[in-house]
Amino acid sequence: MPKVTVDGAEIEVPAGATVLQACEAAGKEIPRFCYHERLSIAGNCRMCLVEVKPGPPKPQASCALPATDGQEIRTDSEMVKKAREGVMEFLLINHPLDCPICDQGGECDLQDQSVAYGRGASRYDENKRAVTEKYMGPLIKTVMTRCIHCTRCVRFSEEIAGVDEIGALYRGENMQITTYLERAAQHELSANVIDLCPVGALTSRPYAFEARPWELKKTLSIDVSDAVGSNVRVDSRGREVLRILPRVNDDVNEEWLSDKARYQVDGLTRRRLDKVWIRNKAGKLESANWSEAFSIIAKAKPGSSIAAIAGDLVDCETMFAAKQLVNALGSDLLEGRQTGLDYDVSNLAAVNFNSTFAGIETADVILIVGSQVRWEAPLVNVRLRKAVKNGAKVFVIGPEWETTYPATFLGNDLGILNDLPADLVSSFEKAERPAIVLGGAGLAKGALAPLIGLANKFRLARDGWNGFNVLHMAASRMGGLMLGYKQSAGIKDIIAAHPKVLLALGADEVDFSAFEGSLKVYIGHHGDNGAHAADIILPAAAYTEKDGTYVNTEGRVQYAEKAIFAPGDAREDWTIIRALADTLGVSIGFDSFAELQATMIAEVPALGEEGLVDYGALPSGGGNASGVIEAYPIKDFYMTNPIARASETMQRCSAELLQAGQFAEAAE
Amino acid sequence: MLADKDRIFTNVYGYQPWNLTAAQARGDWDNTKDILAKGRDAIIDEIKASGLRGRGGAGFPTGMKWSFMPKESKDGRPSFLVINADESEPGSCKDREIIRHDPHKLIEGALVAGFAMGARAAYIYIRGEYIREAETLFAAVQEAYDAGLIGKNASGSGYDFDVFVHRGAGAYICGEETAMIESLEGKKGQPRLKPPFPAGAGLYGCPTTVNNVESIAVAPTIMRRGSAWFSSFGRDNNKGTKLFQISGHVEKPCVVEEAMSIPFRELIEKHCGGIRGGWGNLLAVIPGGSSVPLVPADQIMDAPMDFDGLKEVGSGLGTAAVIVMDKSTDIVRAISRLSAFYKHESCGQCTPCREGTGWMWRMMERLRTGDAAVEEIDMLQQVTKQVEGHTICALGDAAAWPIQGLIRHFRPELERRIAENLREAAE
Amino acid sequence: MGILSKIFTWWDGGTIGTLINSALTGEQVGTDAQGNRYFRSKKPGPLGRERRWVLYNGINDSSRVPAEWHGWLHGAFDDVPESHLPPPKIWEVEYTPNATGTPQAYRPQGALERGGKRAAATGDYEAWAPDS
Repeated sequence: MPKVTVDGAEIEVPAGATVLQACEAAGKEIPRFCYHERLSIAGNCRMCLVEVKPGPPKPQASCALPATDGQEIRTDSEMVKKAREGVMEFLLINHPLDCPICDQGGECDLQDQSVAYGRGASRYDENKRAVTEKYMGPLIKTVMTRCIHCTRCVRFSEEIAGVDEIGALYRGENMQITTYLERAAQHELSANVIDLCPVGALTSRPYAFEARPWELKKTLSIDVSDAVGSNVRVDSRGREVLRILPRVNDDVNEEWLSDKARYQVDGLTRRRLDKVWIRNKAGKLESANWSEAFSIIAKAKPGSSIAAIAGDLVDCETMFAAKQLVNALGSDLLEGRQTGLDYDVSNLAAVNFNSTFAGIETADVILIVGSQVRWEAPLVNVRLRKAVKNGAKVFVIGPEWETTYPATFLGNDLGILNDLPADLVSSFEKAERPAIVLGGAGLAKGALAPLIGLANKFRLARDGWNGFNVLHMAASRMGGLMLGYKQSAGIKDIIAAHPKVLLALGADEVDFSAFEGSLKVYIGHHGDNGAHAADIILPAAAYTEKDGTYVNTEGRVQYAEKAIFAPGDAREDWTIIRALADTLGVSIGFDSFAELQATMIAEVPALGEEGLVDYGALPSGGGNASGVIEAYPIKDFYMTNPIARASETMQRCSAELLQAGQFAEAAE
Repeated sequence: MLADKDRIFTNVYGYQPWNLTAAQARGDWDNTKDILAKGRDAIIDEIKASGLRGRGGAGFPTGMKWSFMPKESKDGRPSFLVINADESEPGSCKDREIIRHDPHKLIEGALVAGFAMGARAAYIYIRGEYIREAETLFAAVQEAYDAGLIGKNASGSGYDFDVFVHRGAGAYICGEETAMIESLEGKKGQPRLKPPFPAGAGLYGCPTTVNNVESIAVAPTIMRRGSAWFSSFGRDNNKGTKLFQISGHVEKPCVVEEAMSIPFRELIEKHCGGIRGGWGNLLAVIPGGSSVPLVPADQIMDAPMDFDGLKEVGSGLGTAAVIVMDKSTDIVRAISRLSAFYKHESCGQCTPCREGTGWMWRMMERLRTGDAAVEEIDMLQQVTKQVEGHTICALGDAAAWPIQGLIRHFRPELERRIAENLREAAE
Repeated sequence: MGILSKIFTWWDGGTIGTLINSALTGEQVGTDAQGNRYFRSKKPGPLGRERRWVLYNGINDSSRVPAEWHGWLHGAFDDVPESHLPPPKIWEVEYTPNATGTPQAYRPQGALERGGKRAAATGDYEAWAPDS
């Protein structure tokens, strides 16, 4: 624990800290551009210069200098002030003065720091440098003249994303940051460089010229595009969500966000359900009003023959309200696994991501079974990459996909689990923190029980470590399982029960042809598969339009807040179900959202507490695995949910990045 | 004047062939095994005692540098010696002569130095433009391998030592030690942050020492003739002999080995036939390659040519590339051209150098024609101060110093041009 | 224009009093393209300056004074525009009086008078319809 003096105040800093961190600990602001906590140190912007004694009689880059005992650091001396002014002047001489037409305006590090640390006026009379535009794909807009060469984007794609896509060409004044050969950046986290860019060189293409940061209302929310439950900030103006940005949460998404979570927002304004629709005798949907719809449902007299299927994006409150209604009518037909998965859910510890995302970073041997982690949970893939960088070995069972780290593929055949290869066995035996990650494709082939058997055999759960992980893909999955949206044979039980009324809560992945005789009531927000198959459509709110509780795949309970109101006639889901209860003449025990939440927490106390849910110990398992994983469930990363499917940006990404060549200008 | 018997580089003019037989006749590879048999510490002590300072420009004591290398590898990482033959400094041409005519001195030096620091191999990073020299070096290394002088059981000493020659691609910045390491690793040649220093984590993350060609090439001779002999030349703290490269307005430009601390006048008179047009015609001298400030005639004439002597006149020995300029020189244009060079060679990594070199060059171009205001001279001075000492590597300093030297010594000339330009504009 | 209407109207051209006053104390310096007549006083006014005024040919609307005469009227220059200003360029458009309040007035895009079609705005969304 070295002791240093910062501007006369003595302070103790942790070993290995840099001078910059020491200054921050002492409460001194150090301006910086290239330094970023989660990236390697580049030390090239020279903005963080401070005076350090002992040392050479010149200012030192504090971001790269280790703090050592007895250092005397000054951040307020004349030398430091001059150095900052000098560097600021250099940064600005070739930076265009186009703040009024720059999207970064108002949230620009260069603006802020030039006000705080720059000279008052410019002394540069020569011509400014101009740089040709670069093409970085449908998400990133580039104005490279504004680039100050901090190389954060380069380091992000090399270190975090694990793809060498962005780099610097040429040297000196002519240095340019570019994707080599003008290719689009093609990984799932590419848009994070927009957040990282301290100036307006990389800005968001879909959000270009939409709004200024000070016009936006910021709402804290949770992302639903995958089961990671990334913490996001929803920026809205009036009745429209304009953009979504990540929030810092070291346990979940660190500081990153997948492109889908960030850019499916424009899907929230397209294909919206904003009025009630009823299918007439001719089989065509006609717009109607709420009372007509409710009376049809009442006339169907479901009695106890009612079932509910939860979609991938719904919150716990909606699921709980529907559950109360179904239970009040005397039924227990609830299911959330829309595509027919029927893995054993009697013990939730067996279907949870037990090691946690932060924990998987410390694993030393990881076996991935049937999961295309890069698409199913891009941010978990980042964690796996970190683990590999720390020395972990990764083995994958399933079709090959492009990992961003060295991994050994063991083939598609799950039979290998019965007779593991020797190097995997020896690695597992030697490992201190071994882990298994089981994905949707593995669950579908019944790999859960054999893997639990393996987990117990190799003692994956040990002191302070539980390495057995199931990686889900739906934001509602863990919440739904906790609320009892589980049948022993999955959705087949519901089909077999032939319910008179089927409530589809935003369920768009279900094969509705199996419910021929049922009155299909779709409660959701987007006109997608569910709406096309439904007999009655009741418009509801999307995740940005309602308060809600979500449980991510590691069993972490998180709350999202409502950012805007739902469009048109759409109502928040729980109010629809509450009204439906009145129509059907049952009481479901709440009249307000607060009451609903209280009832839910009374029933499932774990949902009342933010943070990880304790599901207990792993059950025993075993048996032989068999079957071949033909493919992964996600066919198109950008098209996995109704919001993304409605989003023009996601369609464009899908066309341009995944089906390159077929991209037509008509999409504009 | 240095006696012929005291010369280390006996073939610097290329009167004899460079090949192994000729080199052995000149005394190279003469019982190298015995030198190595003295042991690592003895070699380092001998070099330390000789007072040899790095010949690449910074003048860091070579023996000390070698002693920073780990005595033995604790974690299995090998050590490396990197020899800097990326001689791109305008005015410098000594490494070229050594590699052209005396490559075996360098290769033997690599073995001795590499053994002393426990290096597994030496990488010779040769400047891309040195095409024939690289060919010579490749051939010489091959000769040495064939003769069993390097490679497995090098020179019969029982020590395994490899020498690799790597050709650069023509970037000045790759002469900076950490940029050279990056370039050797196949990355973009950009200096690294220090710490960690190369002696801790250099090439491929292993302990590395980067030395100039001349520092390495003199090592075997020092070992043979003893540190006392070597330190008998030159003043205190500036010992030994040195290759001076005199170019510019002298009667006979040449590369010559001389004792350190030789007065400038003697150096020019004895080896270069005097200044063109006599001593009265001398305007200024850049005594150590483009990156040191120039020295006006009256101060340089009797200055001793060594590290400390030139520091006293506000300049430095650098690589001892003496650029002599007589009164026919457009001194502003000369310095402006150097600014253009640094602007072109800046790697673009850190801000002050990337942006500052271009700014300084543009201002120098305007000062050259006088198209500027007098206050801009002070502004230029401030800009050079903002670059100097604020960068990762020394290129920023190197770009700033010539301009500072110009402003310090030739400010009246700059002001005269501005005034003249104003007068012309008025007419 | 009949003498009778001249007596009772005040909204077009000068009233009888003004016409008499103009004839007695003023001197006409010129006429613009619309036929408005410009006068200046023969003697300086109470402030010691020459007074200048216009008699409209038609509706009394000060925006009908074209730009060049506006300058003369407000004392920006003393010569009549024809001799003081450079001849009009061929690309100069005809001077038009202020159209506010008339059917020719400017209507922004999206105004009901222009069909009421407005560009998409924040909060707009595209609703789903079954056949889409």
